[in-house]
Amino acid sequence: MDDSGKGGLRDLLTGVAADRRKLLKGAAALGLSAALAGRFGTGDAWAADFDWKKHAGTKLSILMTGDENDHRALADMLPKFTEETGMELEITSPALGALIEKTLQNLKADKSSFELIEYLGFLTTQQVGGGYYEQLNAYIDDPAKTPPDWDIADFLPPAMANVGIFDMATGTVGQGKDIYGIPGLHSGSVIYFYRKDLFEAAGLKPATTWDEFKAAAEKLHSDDVAGCSFIGANDFSLAAVDWYTRFITTGGKLMSGSPKEKNFKPQVNSPEGIGALQMLIDLLPYAPKNVTKYGFAENVDGFSTGKIAQMIFWSTIAGPILNGENSMVADKTGTGPVPAKPGETPRAIQGGWGMAIPKNADPAKKDAAWLALTWMTSKEFNKYEVEKYQIDASRTSAFTDPDLVAKLPYLPDALKAASTAEIIPTSLIPEFFQLNDMMNVEFNAALIGTQDAKTACEKVQKQWEDALRKAGHLA
Amino acid sequence: MSAVSAARQPVAVIEGRDRPALTAWLLLGPCVLYLVAFSIYPLFYSLRLSFTDLTAATGTGNFVGLANYYTLLTDPLFWNAAMNSAIMVTAAVALQVVLGVALALFFDLDLKGAWIVRGILLLPMLITPIVVGVMWRALLNPDWGMVDWTISAIGLTPPDWLGSVGMAMVTLILVDTWQWTPFVFIIVFARLQGLPREIFEAAEVDGAGPIVKFRRVVLPMLMPAIVFAAVFRAVDAFRSFDLIYGLSYGGPARGTTTLAFFSFQNGFQFQNYGYAAAVAYSMLIIIAVGTTILLRYVQLRPGQAR
Repeated sequence: MDDSGKGGLRDLLTGVAADRRKLLKGAAALGLSAALAGRFGTGDAWAADFDWKKHAGTKLSILMTGDENDHRALADMLPKFTEETGMELEITSPALGALIEKTLQNLKADKSSFELIEYLGFLTTQQVGGGYYEQLNAYIDDPAKTPPDWDIADFLPPAMANVGIFDMATGTVGQGKDIYGIPGLHSGSVIYFYRKDLFEAAGLKPATTWDEFKAAAEKLHSDDVAGCSFIGANDFSLAAVDWYTRFITTGGKLMSGSPKEKNFKPQVNSPEGIGALQMLIDLLPYAPKNVTKYGFAENVDGFSTGKIAQMIFWSTIAGPILNGENSMVADKTGTGPVPAKPGETPRAIQGGWGMAIPKNADPAKKDAAWLALTWMTSKEFNKYEVEKYQIDASRTSAFTDPDLVAKLPYLPDALKAASTAEIIPTSLIPEFFQLNDMMNVEFNAALIGTQDAKTACEKVQKQWEDALRKAGHLA
Repeated sequence: MSAVSAARQPVAVIEGRDRPALTAWLLLGPCVLYLVAFSIYPLFYSLRLSFTDLTAATGTGNFVGLANYYTLLTDPLFWNAAMNSAIMVTAAVALQVVLGVALALFFDLDLKGAWIVRGILLLPMLITPIVVGVMWRALLNPDWGMVDWTISAIGLTPPDWLGSVGMAMVTLILVDTWQWTPFVFIIVFARLQGLPREIFEAAEVDGAGPIVKFRRVVLPMLMPAIVFAAVFRAVDAFRSFDLIYGLSYGGPARGTTTLAFFSFQNGFQFQNYGYAAAVAYSMLIIIAVGTTILLRYVQLRPGQAR
């Protein structure tokens, strides 16, 4: 590959967030379509030449989340990994809080104990922006280091933008040409779940607007089945899923300005902000009577035992809900895009994780770490994860795989959601979790009736402004 | 030289010289090293941390003097947590002392088969607090929890255990009491068993009824054990984090966020390490002052109690 080709590829790769089609077109023009097309076509021959065992004997360590099924999928595949690469991989997978702490300790140490680290997309600014991870463009550009069928163009553009691309000069996620992380082991967003049988029996169509959502909730509510549900507990997803989805799909804009300009101002107390919370309060009569204590598990349990008629939720739960072994409503559940105000695009928050190589990892093992990273973010691995654990894919090929779609019919909806997902603007600053907590506490208080929607939003607005000023993001 | 005294000087005579200092250091060394590594160093490290603005965001940790402590004093969330801690410790410990003493007196009657019940009674204390929290959260689940199901089955309406601010604190206190009353009971019961029975008989001969006997004779003699148990429990309840983590996660609406949980949130959720260390040190100060006062109270009554 000549230099111009490399430069072209580099530009193309970093532009992946913008438009996958453009990438493929450009790649074809550069004669690289075979490489980007991966195993489909001449890539097979090229892949056969790739030396997977060049780092055989190397021992690697990965730090990853133990809260999802990623670590289980990786553990399942370890024998295959060792067989194909000759390398050994040790997995450390604590829960989120401990993961963040351990990650930061490692990133700030003289030498990281882990050659690979998985980080939450909401922490991209904190960890990638902190300059702790190796820039990956040189690895991606080098055909001796990157398997030809790895196919970077196959990653979901919003996921790539959320965890992979970062502009150090401006401190902006998803902007520029530099890649620091690879989406994985999974991505995802939010979709609409509804009970097909109940909707059909009542002569209703799945809700496409929030008014329809409320009307259906009212009509379907009974002693046995709640008309709808949502995260009502003091839980991360109360703000991030239920409030934020309603907020942005009714025209809300969470932040104005930018942290860099020190004019990063919240709009929580805007009419859309108050309106989104009021929507949840108005749904209380049609929700499970204990919905203010409902977090992730309660909603999944409630829906899969047939006690909830509709809700919006992380698409990652679709697998268990549509799996007859875990769910009593597997064959009665339909999925679709989240409702939205007429004229607004149905969309929700961008979730998911990234994988990267710490700068302070053992230099002698970095090439091996990259090879391992490509192995565990490959199409085959992603397909295995989706099939076995029904986690949200990070690759388009897994979302559109005919076998998987036949087995898991929600995948096209999950792909659509993942393709339109938005990065929540507060994740651009390291105080993201603190701001989210403030919102959850006040919104939960509004739902249990100790304050009204306006008061709750005003309080959050004030608390956020104080926190942003203290952190130097708002003058 | 007896066999015992010979055995006491093995190191000192190794080279034919008396080196008691070396012996002492060899024996104390591992202990001192352990203390330095796992107690003293972390204590000073966290103290230093509390004077910095270290967050995951900055990663710098500039010295800011007493700024974190000043922020604490003006932070309504800190005062909310302090108030919750005070309520939890006072109510839980008071309840546990009353129930623990009552149980001790009951089992002192030495009823037939009491030893079996006594053994079962101690079981909650043996369970890890995080498990207790998760277990009670499940039992009190409003949709499928056994407690709510039982209450509903007998035609009553179950309380909103963990759903309202006030009730969540009550639930936390009740669960803590369920777990730790056996601890107070066992301490008081051991003391009670060791008391000379002649004094009780003398009081009865002098005409003291059960209430007077308890108030004037038994209770004063039990006081050291009660205060010890109360101090121990107060310190433990004040530091309690895992039970809250499993049971209510500090909610709803920060209704069960105690100082320990507040420190955890700042340190491990928000990565404000400097501020979290300041919260932890404020707890240390409160515990030190509170414990000193309580223990001093015991020492003020040695004549009656020991």
